[in-house]
Amino acid sequence: MEVLGSRDILNLDRALGLYRVIDEDGNPVAGEPSLPDKLLLDMYTYMIRARILDGWLLKLQRMGRVALHAPNKGQEASAVGATLALKREDWLFPSYRELGALLVRGMTEEEILDRALTTIDDPLKGSDFAIYGHRKYNIVPAPVPVANQIPHAVGAALAAKIMGDKIVTMTFFGDGSTSRGDFHAGLNFAGVFKAPVVFVNQNNQWAISVPLKRQTAAPTIAVKGIAYGVPGIRVDGNDVIAVYTVAREAVERARSGEGPTLIEAVTYRLGPHTTADDPTRYRGEEEVKEWERREPLRRMRRYLISRGLLTEEEDKALWSEWEKRIEETVVKVLEKPPLPPEVILEDVYEEPPWNLKEQMKELRESIRLLKELGIELE
Amino acid sequence: MPVVQVKLPDIGEGIAEGEIVRWLVKEGDTVKRFQPIVEVLTAKATVEIPSPYTGKIRKLLASEGDTVRVGQPIAEIETDTAGPVKEEKEERPEEPRKEEASGQPRPQLEATPIETQAGQAGIARVKAPPSVRILARKLGVDLSKVKGTGPRGVITKDDVLAYAEAQKREPQPPVQVAKEAEVEEERIPLRGVKKVMAERMVEAKTRIPHAYVVEEVDITELLSVRERLKPLAEEKGVKLTILPFIMKAAVKAIREYPLINSSLDEDKGEIIVKRTVNLGFAVDTPHGLMVPVIKNANTKGLFQLAREVRELARKAREAKLSLDEVRGSTFSISNYGSIGGVLGIPVINPPEAAILGVGRIRKEPRIRDGKIEERSLVYLTLSFDHRILEGGYATRFLVRVKELLENPILLLAGEGELE
Ligand SMILES: Cc1ncc(C[n+]2csc(CCOP(=O)(O)OP(=O)(O)O)c2C)c(N)n1
Ligand SMILES: [Mg+2]
Repeated sequence: MEVLGSRDILNLDRALGLYRVIDEDGNPVAGEPSLPDKLLLDMYTYMIRARILDGWLLKLQRMGRVALHAPNKGQEASAVGATLALKREDWLFPSYRELGALLVRGMTEEEILDRALTTIDDPLKGSDFAIYGHRKYNIVPAPVPVANQIPHAVGAALAAKIMGDKIVTMTFFGDGSTSRGDFHAGLNFAGVFKAPVVFVNQNNQWAISVPLKRQTAAPTIAVKGIAYGVPGIRVDGNDVIAVYTVAREAVERARSGEGPTLIEAVTYRLGPHTTADDPTRYRGEEEVKEWERREPLRRMRRYLISRGLLTEEEDKALWSEWEKRIEETVVKVLEKPPLPPEVILEDVYEEPPWNLKEQMKELRESIRLLKELGIELE
Repeated sequence: MPVVQVKLPDIGEGIAEGEIVRWLVKEGDTVKRFQPIVEVLTAKATVEIPSPYTGKIRKLLASEGDTVRVGQPIAEIETDTAGPVKEEKEERPEEPRKEEASGQPRPQLEATPIETQAGQAGIARVKAPPSVRILARKLGVDLSKVKGTGPRGVITKDDVLAYAEAQKREPQPPVQVAKEAEVEEERIPLRGVKKVMAERMVEAKTRIPHAYVVEEVDITELLSVRERLKPLAEEKGVKLTILPFIMKAAVKAIREYPLINSSLDEDKGEIIVKRTVNLGFAVDTPHGLMVPVIKNANTKGLFQLAREVRELARKAREAKLSLDEVRGSTFSISNYGSIGGVLGIPVINPPEAAILGVGRIRKEPRIRDGKIEERSLVYLTLSFDHRILEGGYATRFLVRVKELLENPILLLAGEGELE
């Protein structure tokens, strides 16, 4: 019987295996790609920045200054590695757990904190919490329902293809998100129309309290791509070099018109699902300890040191430099005034209808009155 | 040096209050801004709260175990002037800053209560947005009499509605009586661990036909065996109380009477006999009754049981038990005797078939070999599900437990029973 299209797509080995460049202790395994030293050091620096910023967002949430945060700890390599394969003109459709991806795109800690603390400089003007996006960096904010960003990324990729733009879109989503219809519709559509999109699944083993084995009966997530005619590649998501290598291949494939790729980055969420979650209620310490050992920053540091690209002292200096810089940024952002209430009306209607204008008038009057009474708004 | 209050921050959607689990600082300590100062247990998790200021802790305003509401002051910090002044202002919005500029001498200002000053200003004193003012006018509610529950005491629509409703119900409230009634009762919401306890006990007492049997056990010899074992136990870092011995006896007797360690599948009309004994034991904690579980207690020696009792009880008191550590018990023990009850009648921990209650150890005279001797005695109560167990079976089990405890050699004989 005739098989439609290329047989390459059916490469089961890549969908069932686990591509890896450095092992759990940072030693290179066979087939190490040769990458520029600067790129390797950048990868590590971005991960450090993401780790430190993540800690701050958690702290600021505990101080009541950030509404909600979805901790990234342990997943820095997938976000950083995949995004580094994009070009400036490409577009990113992240989920809520990819601080490293935002940093790689060029967003600064200050811009991310402006968003989290909804200061006057919040690029998304106070819209939903724990999500990030910025027009300047071609990052489209994710809607709160998980997996919705998948069809968005496919649609944007197809639009670009139709318009003849040579751009690629990349989207991130979790293991739990693969159980939504949007994942299946998105992959199918992308496969049929050869959309220039890269699907990055951050398989962190948990969807809040639901473990992976309750999410799918398939042996891997990558294998799901094959049914849609989309090659699936399973990669060690805590190995930043491996993730980058695989993502670069997928991006090149998309850009040259060969269509989408599904990357499953196998990783682990070391922290709680969000700041409103207590993971000890559903998972054991053993499991967490096991994954702490495979944590991506330690691995990359060991690798860099063994390659002679970094010394222990330089490593310490790198950390303390970023710790200091980010703390300064936090202090600065904490002093910024909040968004003015008027932003509620912005960015929906070009010209707000009369009833909204009337409500705004009432709101302004109330604020004026409260000020007269000496009551400050929170 | 200005003193600022640290308030329980708004730490998440839908969280209105938290319990102070542990202070990480004490009065007089200096703290850095962003340094964790207290652990708070919310409905969702236990979290560490960082300090919003750098300075010296002047006073802790809440004790461990207290439940505090979001926005409630929990500590006072003396800040150095270099601290985040802006935040300090936000915390104290009622400081009349304007007057200060107008040149009035400060002492006089502080001596004048803000209430009075504002009271003279008339209507402006009431904190309510326009929509609420309109509603109050419509309902004929005097806003100066309404207590605001919104942020900083702002009167909300609900406050006005509740006030109007109350006015309707009591046209002429006999003030005296109402006041008296108010002081005599306190309403404590049933929450958290307490709520779980309430629900489970209703289930236990309405569904399970309880029956009871009591035995008096002479543990004089057991106590002396314990004394002799103490040095060995200490060497292994184990603190030996009486509870692990009773656990050992129960688990051993269950080998002969397996139905004690079972549950009833009511839908199928089947008794499920369990091969492993997961032993729950009641711990009285500041936040309520907790029943941590020793998994596979039937495979564990005395010392190991002792270790786990200690560790789990500590975690229970610190509210650090994981879900895994409180579920899956197949048989339970309640050691109220450690507090003082001579004889108790425990309620079964559903869906288990029985629970063993341990009373206080008493010293009493008993006649042995025709002589009066001082003996150490303890009452054991077995409460059992009479759908699963007959009185005879339950009693034979309890008698066996008694025999094992009165003959410590039987209790500890056998491979691995000690360690
Ligand atoms: C459609 C939808 N259902 C439920 C939720 C609630 N929810 C938020 S995150 C989440 C878990 C998602 O898990 P996964 O996709 O694995 O991502 P992770 O949080 O692990 O990064 C759920 C169920 C949601 N946001 N959207
Ligand atoms: Mg997940």
